[in-house]
Amino acid sequence: MSIKNNDSGLDLTADVLVIGGGPAACWAALAAQRNGAKVIIVDKGHLGSSGALAASTAGSRVIPPVKELRDKVKFERYALGGHLAQLEWWEKILDQTYEHAPKIYEWGGYEPPAFKEGRPAYGGGLQGPEIMKIMRKQVKKVGIEILDHSPAQELLVDDRGAVAGARGIQRQENRRWTVRAGAVVLASGGCAWLSKALGCNTNTGDALLMAVEAGAELSGMEFSAHYAPAVKHASVTKNAYYRYASFVDKDGQLIGGASHNGHRSTSTIAKALLNGPVFCRLDQGTEDPRFREILRIQQPNFMAAFDKVGINPFTDWWEITLVLEGTVRGTGGIRIATEDCGTTVPGLYAAGDAATRELVCGGFTGGAGPNMTWATGSGNIAGAGAATYARSLGDKAATRNVRAVGGAGLAPATSSSTTFDANQVVKEVQEEILPFGKNIFRTEAGLLESLGKLGQLWEKVQTTSALETPQKAQRAREAAALVAAARWSYFAGLERKESRGMHKRLDFPKLDPNQRHYLAVGGLDKLWTREVPVPGEIVPEPTNSSTSVYASPDVAKLDTTKLQVQAVAS
Amino acid sequence: MIELVSQSRCISCNICVDVCPTNVFDLAPGEAPTIARQSDCQTCFLCEAYCPVDALFVAAEAHRHVEVNEQELIEKGLLGAYRRNLGWGKGYSPKDRISRLRELRADIDANPYFSPITSPAH
Repeated sequence: MSIKNNDSGLDLTADVLVIGGGPAACWAALAAQRNGAKVIIVDKGHLGSSGALAASTAGSRVIPPVKELRDKVKFERYALGGHLAQLEWWEKILDQTYEHAPKIYEWGGYEPPAFKEGRPAYGGGLQGPEIMKIMRKQVKKVGIEILDHSPAQELLVDDRGAVAGARGIQRQENRRWTVRAGAVVLASGGCAWLSKALGCNTNTGDALLMAVEAGAELSGMEFSAHYAPAVKHASVTKNAYYRYASFVDKDGQLIGGASHNGHRSTSTIAKALLNGPVFCRLDQGTEDPRFREILRIQQPNFMAAFDKVGINPFTDWWEITLVLEGTVRGTGGIRIATEDCGTTVPGLYAAGDAATRELVCGGFTGGAGPNMTWATGSGNIAGAGAATYARSLGDKAATRNVRAVGGAGLAPATSSSTTFDANQVVKEVQEEILPFGKNIFRTEAGLLESLGKLGQLWEKVQTTSALETPQKAQRAREAAALVAAARWSYFAGLERKESRGMHKRLDFPKLDPNQRHYLAVGGLDKLWTREVPVPGEIVPEPTNSSTSVYASPDVAKLDTTKLQVQAVAS
Repeated sequence: MIELVSQSRCISCNICVDVCPTNVFDLAPGEAPTIARQSDCQTCFLCEAYCPVDALFVAAEAHRHVEVNEQELIEKGLLGAYRRNLGWGKGYSPKDRISRLRELRADIDANPYFSPITSPAH
């Protein structure tokens, strides 16, 4: 039984189609609807439980418009990210987040957090699952149509090249869907290459592939090597508590430099792991039983990995590994080309982890707060932008000639006899992109070797015969997206001949001041990059903002004000 | 990965079929859903969190199948533990978690902890 053709599928029209099911997608849908658009939102999985937030937790930076307070956020990662962030963008995102993020509490029937110095005065309140449950409820309440288990597979483009909708499959109904829309917001997450990083296996880079097929560009794909420490047996990649950790090797020798002032050194841990197993426990400043209870309550998902196997994370040693979070907590994604989160293609908008987060984080991770803030801000901006654009089309939006522009991994209209083993392709992409020996410690020779293999895989995924189940069809398309995303990451990594942010080149170990630019990357068969200037000079850090909110508190003193901040941010 | 759909507890509400973000379950009319694509399970524990009768168990092991024993899980209090810890389910509320956090913090502020260990752990 192959997927039924269009005749028996769903055919719908909307002003704005939002693709994705996490916070950025929900905010975009709500913002578009608020701006008068008829909205449909489609998600690969189930809106409310899909994506990186629903399985995990993260807090938005809700900061009132007070310069000193906002400077702390803006400059927190400015230097760490290689000065690629744009502080004006941060201001816009913080404005949106300040206005909208607290509504979650209101919709959920919670007392809003009390603010102290512009930050929530308590943290660990709402978990990701709860936040996303509330968002689903709100999206439904305002009458937005949700299609669950309906992965988008390709965009529709009109005669002049503007994006005009998308189509995909309903994998539990075994039928196609097509939505013709005035504008499309891609907010379906980043790419973690099916590493099983917590909640990230729905994030297979589909949005990146769809965007490039429609003519859009990506940016910051060289900043895709984010790894999180994780209990070796499990999937829980929550980072926050490793600031309380000691790391030892198999002989019980402390690994120096793995954790310093609350900053974890991924490369130190990676180097140690290349020499043998690494063990960990949370024994730094966690002696107070009340504090342990706080940690338990704040991150039930982190604790589940231990409770289920009978490990006490505070007293027992457990083996860790590094799990790739890719662009989910890296910063690469669809390049934002307009003030309203539009791309270089008319009618196409991007938000959340599908978009580059270089505008706020540069080349440093957007994890632990900024990404969530970006999801809230960019979702609201993109949704409003898409609604305005759709309205400008007037009546002709739904009557345009359109064609689907997807290619790799999809069954072509003319039947193809060749096919590929999607699971095998996934395995082979993972062999190039998951090992931290290849991805963290980059060299020209290593990148070229991987790009050679990935290029062969790209040829392999070009054609497929019609597949017998929606699951298989979906996995084939995902495999193509994973190959494409890996190629863009490594090609951009090859072209950035320096070390900046999380992009580390062993053969160019230093930051080169002459390379303070973005690298736009694109192309399908033939890849290309081009330099995009960062507007303005490097902004000097304000002298009074030395207390970075990212810097960890001295845990031994149990500075609870800062711990609350950390808890919200984690 | 998902290892257990308890036949005795499952009420065939099929919420897990809906909420699983990676579409691991298949609906079986009139029966408990089947674990159809176990290797697609991303070990996010969300099916457990949404199950209204604590019939599901997702083992922490994300990359390999492990055998589980339902009776043993019940005895250890592990069935439904994640749901309770989220403050979900009958008799629980996320608000209780928040209150308890505030209480603990206030107590730590009022009565700082002095470690009986005078030297650092290492």
